[in-house]
Amino acid sequence: MSGAPRQSFNKTRKDGKRIAGQQDFGVPGSGGSSPESTLQDIDHIPVSQGGQKEQPRGPHVHDQHITGTSVGKRTPLVDANWKMTGQARYGDDIRLPGELIGKILRSPHHYAIIRSINTRAAEALEGVVAVATGVDSINSFGVLPVTKDEHAMAQKKVRHVGDLVACVAACDEATAIEALSLIEVDYEVLDPVHDMEDGLEDTEHPIHDRGKYHIGESNIQKRVFQQFGNLSAMDEPAASSEADWSFAGLHHGFTEPHAVVAHWDPAGRLTVYTPQQVPHYLHRALSSVLDIPMHQINVYRTFVGGGFGGKSDPFPHEMCAAILARKSGSPVRICFDREEVYWINRGRHPSRIQMGVHADDEGRISGIETDALIDGGAFASFGHVTTYYNGVLHTSPYEIGGFHYTGARVWTNKPASGAMRGHGAVNSRCAVEVGIDEVSEKLGVDPMTFRLANLLPPHSRTITGFRITSTGMRECLAKVREQSGWDEKFRNLPFGRGIGVGCGFFISGSGLPIHWDPENFPHATVHLQCDMDGGVTVHTGAAEIGQGSDTAIAQAVCEVLALPMDMIRIRSQESDTAPVDLGSYSSRVTFMNANAAIRAAIELRDKVLKATWEIIGYHPDQLVLGDRRIYYKHDPAIGVSWLEAVHKAQADSGSLIASGSYRTPPMGGVHKGAAAGLAPAYSFSAYVAEVEVDAETGFIKVVKAWAAHDCGKALNPLAVEGQIIGSCHMGMGQVLSEEMKYGRDGHLMNPDLLDYKIMSVHEMPEVVPIIVESNDPEGPFGAKEAGEGPLLPILPAVCNAVYDAIGIRPDELPLTPDRVHKMIEKKCKEFGVEDPLDLPNPSFEPSPLQQKISDRAEEHAERDLQRDLLKDRSPYVNGVLFGFDPELPLIEQDEGWREAITPEQEDLVDEGKRAARAWKHVERRHRSDE
Amino acid sequence: MVDTKHVQMLPKPPVSTWTAEVNGLKCEMLVESNAILLDVLRDKVGTLGVKRGCDLGTCGCCSVLVDGEPRLSCLMLAEEARGRSITTVEGLADGHHLHPIQTCFAEAGGSQCGFCTPGFLVVCSALLDENPEPSKDEIKDAIEGNLCRCTGYQQIVEAVEMAAESKRSGESAPDLTDPSSDPHPVGPDEPTLPPGDAR
Repeated sequence: MSGAPRQSFNKTRKDGKRIAGQQDFGVPGSGGSSPESTLQDIDHIPVSQGGQKEQPRGPHVHDQHITGTSVGKRTPLVDANWKMTGQARYGDDIRLPGELIGKILRSPHHYAIIRSINTRAAEALEGVVAVATGVDSINSFGVLPVTKDEHAMAQKKVRHVGDLVACVAACDEATAIEALSLIEVDYEVLDPVHDMEDGLEDTEHPIHDRGKYHIGESNIQKRVFQQFGNLSAMDEPAASSEADWSFAGLHHGFTEPHAVVAHWDPAGRLTVYTPQQVPHYLHRALSSVLDIPMHQINVYRTFVGGGFGGKSDPFPHEMCAAILARKSGSPVRICFDREEVYWINRGRHPSRIQMGVHADDEGRISGIETDALIDGGAFASFGHVTTYYNGVLHTSPYEIGGFHYTGARVWTNKPASGAMRGHGAVNSRCAVEVGIDEVSEKLGVDPMTFRLANLLPPHSRTITGFRITSTGMRECLAKVREQSGWDEKFRNLPFGRGIGVGCGFFISGSGLPIHWDPENFPHATVHLQCDMDGGVTVHTGAAEIGQGSDTAIAQAVCEVLALPMDMIRIRSQESDTAPVDLGSYSSRVTFMNANAAIRAAIELRDKVLKATWEIIGYHPDQLVLGDRRIYYKHDPAIGVSWLEAVHKAQADSGSLIASGSYRTPPMGGVHKGAAAGLAPAYSFSAYVAEVEVDAETGFIKVVKAWAAHDCGKALNPLAVEGQIIGSCHMGMGQVLSEEMKYGRDGHLMNPDLLDYKIMSVHEMPEVVPIIVESNDPEGPFGAKEAGEGPLLPILPAVCNAVYDAIGIRPDELPLTPDRVHKMIEKKCKEFGVEDPLDLPNPSFEPSPLQQKISDRAEEHAERDLQRDLLKDRSPYVNGVLFGFDPELPLIEQDEGWREAITPEQEDLVDEGKRAARAWKHVERRHRSDE
Repeated sequence: MVDTKHVQMLPKPPVSTWTAEVNGLKCEMLVESNAILLDVLRDKVGTLGVKRGCDLGTCGCCSVLVDGEPRLSCLMLAEEARGRSITTVEGLADGHHLHPIQTCFAEAGGSQCGFCTPGFLVVCSALLDENPEPSKDEIKDAIEGNLCRCTGYQQIVEAVEMAAESKRSGESAPDLTDPSSDPHPVGPDEPTLPPGDAR
């Protein structure tokens, strides 16, 4: 022990002997895996705290809490060793004694009325313990409160092949399968709807009857109309791009099939073990489906073998397991095979998007017109939100003159679409970025410069009213431009080889919790508990799905308390011990939960510092937290160990616990649907992809991709890079090979991993992940999301590179060789050449505009820097580039300004627009009351 | 239209005693003649680290080593493995000392959700046993049968390169259950002060 003058609370007598009953709790730095302290890494501590790290530019509230312990360091996941040793327990690894095996009877028809079900023979089979059908679960549920259109098992109708009809619990799998075959179902087959455009038509048998919200007699589930800005700005464009896109549906392709174990304990409580991204929504749905209060249910999130949005709905099979377990009195385990995984789906919506991008003679984006028809499949799922996201999430990072969007989601007799990584933003982002590329080519300007000259600055508002705080968009573009050698390669590569750029923008946490008012309840809550061992247990409901949410939260706590990672224990699995949390979707966990964790840790730290004050007599302002030690700022020899301070705090207050929560600040507009796309911060990204196209076979190979993503601050660069590369993998899959193929009779043709083509290691090109840090003023230590946004730009980057390679602008994904070959054949006919190798190689001749917008981009770079540093604090809204006065309310700007959410007759004149047709149906509300 | 397709289950297959060495331990149990190795390992032996991803041999999550050779346990009858030595992910570590491939996967970010990880680990450990200095292409060839949806493979390949390096240098991972295995022990009374000019 150092001989520093300090008042110890381990009192000793003058003769050096211990006073009875007083025990020495050890030395500074006790606790953690290694008993001695490690030196603090002053490279990671800000200058203001005595370290060497330069301050991030701009306002940044969390600086004062940085201790240099964990933030910004490459940190392996805290649960990695469980995964490495095979001890991580996923859904199907939960084995309870006396378990029964549950199996599900699925519909063989696309669309049919169930006349009757006879389960007598199945029940009589030896080994069968329970059989359940729709009558056992009459309450509906759904992930969104506004669209509860699902049941555990079919009520009157089956709506797609694979829809759940009945389920069986038996002693083993073979018996359960045999029992399923003994269930007699009498179906009356109806005419199914497979094509999304047919879903717009009136029909005698709508797939869902939604009572008072029913729109006409069609299968339109949701329609959205939005107009913002000065629509006359695009009246006479200098250049336009019109494209009619068709995107195939996608599945998440997680490696772990869905599995669930349900168990009613002797006290009558239900525990459901399931790999869920959003355990809380399941908790609510179980309560309403089973008619029991929420406190009677414990949702236990197992390890999740990949989610990507595909495990974020409450699922009917989870209800089935609970119902069977209730009926049988034994635990029931249901594990899907790979085919069933595709029947439950919830993947990316197949969509047809008509995209118009217009630019004026000054190289500004004068307007974007989008019409998106999306195919929802048989259930609503997240579709209400997806319909909005297809529009609002491509209104940034650019300044736009006018924005016109019509979107519609229709029900069809296919497995339901839902949320998938990049929810709703991916397809329209691809279309708009390809449009921008075409427009800049028509204007004779470099697409890179064109983008740089039209970016929104930091601390501004988008055309739809979203509040942009930090943006690293400009830096992202600059980095990929430099590292990819863009200026040398663009339009200079030989025929068949090309380079393309794409940008992206994504929400960092959805601004509105869908089940409660954020004014009353927070988005996220984290509890901390510190016991006599000095370790900190963190209770959070954030769902670890492999993205590293446990690690991020542990890092945030470590950073504030200056403790090593192994002294932090995360308990995030059980709803019994975790505070309510919205779970892992909309890229919210790092932003919201780490913010809540920081607040909780600050509260805990304050208590410990106060205890230290009482021990050594220096005010908390004069104290510094080192590694497991708290000491006087000006004499590090004067201090106490973490453990000693913790014990003192416990002696004073009896327990050492703290709690922190996060809620979003007030944001955004007031129009209907204004909450869709609102987020406390947005991530930005820019990618460049280089491809090789074999013009003779249509085979596309991505050679290399440079991926710059602005995640605010990389709390864990290892995880951020993993997210960027993984996103590229998934995005390249969508652009090159993945699709859910439906045959002519509407049957899913590839429900397995052999025909649903996920890229293997050989197809995956080298990706250079580039982390850009814009230090968001409200993010935890400046962080924003990195999980979904990085997927968006890879699609348009590849599409634009294909154009650079062979001069063809794709308008259909995925770009499988057969599709590309057809495009090449068409192009050959157009040019009258026999050999595709004789097609012209796209070239670039800069127009006089190039210099002008290049100058503007440079001016804007300076403007952005001033705004970022808060030297320029003037308001900035979308439209300043077009002469708007940001001081005036938008509606007073000029005559052309419009903000509309219901269309006028003249807005729907274009017969060719698909989603717009949804508005032509006469809406009949209160149909059920008639 | 009534669906009545009673699927009569096959008559129960004959059951016999099946023996194999799983992770160094001799296993002896009653197994049906048509049992799939994956089912036996998961449901009877209890090595739940072997994962079921697709049942079709497409994802590689169920990879195990049979006599040191990577095999897909979902495409292999238990009968084929009778009397042979099987290594699953549970058998890679030496007590609490992880195999270099395990430490490196964790450190390089080669595993995110972790469901495909057991398959990758056994395949890569077999690769390193056979080829201590694999090139990037050799690593890719070795893992071409394993699908990973999270990582995009890049960090997996880096992890294997790291593991090859650390295996060659003979470093062994610390035993996490024993703090005294720390390579740089410092006396308990020796204070450590923060660096810098805080004083």
